[in-house]
Amino acid sequence: MALSRDEIMEKVREALVDALGVDEDEVTPEARIGGDLGAESIDYLDIVFRLEKAFNIKIPRGDLFPDNILQSEEFVQDGKLTDKGLEELKSRLPHADLSEFEKHPNVDDIADLFTVDMIVRYIESKVNEQAG
Amino acid sequence: MKFYLVDHIQEMEAPNRIVAVKNLTLAEEYLADHFPSYPVLPGVLMLEALVQSAAWLVRVTQDYRPTLILLKEARNVRYGAFVRPGGQLVMEVTAKDIGEATSTFKAVGRCLDKTAVQARLVLEHGTVAAEEPGAEEVDAGLRTFWRERFALIGGPQALEAAAEAS
Amino acid sequence: MRWIWIDRFIAFETGRRAVAVKCVTLAEEHLHDHVPGYPVHPPTLMIEGMAQTAGVLVGDAFDFEEKVILAKVTRATFHGHVRPGDRIRFEAEVQGEVRPEGAAISGRITRNGDLVAEIELMFAHLDQSRGPVELGEDNFVFNDDFVGLLRMRTLRNLGASDPAPDA
Repeated sequence: MALSRDEIMEKVREALVDALGVDEDEVTPEARIGGDLGAESIDYLDIVFRLEKAFNIKIPRGDLFPDNILQSEEFVQDGKLTDKGLEELKSRLPHADLSEFEKHPNVDDIADLFTVDMIVRYIESKVNEQAG
Repeated sequence: MKFYLVDHIQEMEAPNRIVAVKNLTLAEEYLADHFPSYPVLPGVLMLEALVQSAAWLVRVTQDYRPTLILLKEARNVRYGAFVRPGGQLVMEVTAKDIGEATSTFKAVGRCLDKTAVQARLVLEHGTVAAEEPGAEEVDAGLRTFWRERFALIGGPQALEAAAEAS
Repeated sequence: MRWIWIDRFIAFETGRRAVAVKCVTLAEEHLHDHVPGYPVHPPTLMIEGMAQTAGVLVGDAFDFEEKVILAKVTRATFHGHVRPGDRIRFEAEVQGEVRPEGAAISGRITRNGDLVAEIELMFAHLDQSRGPVELGEDNFVFNDDFVGLLRMRTLRNLGASDPAPDA
């Protein structure tokens, strides 16, 4: 069943309001999950569970919020992303604007890159994939 | 255990804001269970400390009218750093709205400048007489009780300090 | 006072659902402070009862080898007061499934079939990265006392349906 972007945005908004306790009007496409909506580590998992339930999909670990970048020495050195790490991040977040982040690629700042719109586009690609 | 989670009120600008503390000591018996060999203040007691701090703002603002102030809803309660015996939880509660029957707050608990707990709270105000017709005397007793407790934990001094500062 | 806010499990389905009960009695000290003249079981201790019910459910999924701790109370809403003489029932259900990264639980507390509270919780594991260095090997969360008192080693023998669903 294909969903329109608006329908997806609506359900994503509901999931974020429930998980983060923010107001509906705070959930704009450009809002950053961490920076603007206040999400912390445990919240990302809460969001994943709610999205899986709302859209009846499976979101493999690290697919939506690439946390495993933080684990590998190949990608992270001294709290900063290596060139390889940046490449990996770019491939995972094809629509994110990394120009500012690249200047100081601190691992702790990665979460700031996740926006509501990224989630919507991720969901879109997943449900359309299922719709065949 | 005594179910009092506010030891001292440090700052109080009624109706908007209160800063209070809860000390944690090994003498608190329940710590033996939470956890054996690694005692820490239970998360729900951190939440209770925030609730009790908020309740003081309600009492002072409403002149001790409501005698039963209970948690109606807690949202987005997230835990961070632990509070260990010998340590102190500093509760900072800001009122968003204090109405007749309910009130809402944003609350944070910190330990050594790290966030231990944060929450959004909705409290419900009532009286014993509303639950049990004829219990007006119980309410009268409770109002005296809460006023005495407020004095015990430095409430009047905190109010005075805020009044002088403004 | 013991830090155990449920009395007994009455139903258990590994990785899915657990039901526990708690009796509320004037013998409990905290009720005399909360509130003098009107003992009422504190909502925060009801959250703890749900956290313990759900924590065991999540812990069982890892054979009680992980230190499962409460990371978040997404939402807790209370309807009505719980008084001495009441017996309340905690029903916890896993949302999705229990994962190594954590678990989400949806819970209901009832008394004689009436809804008393709705609670949503999230659990994570306390590991060396979050706790201080001196955390030892033994699981102090699921310690011998707690495990023994709540008969955790035989939970899987319990049926999925509780003997008196509305009790």
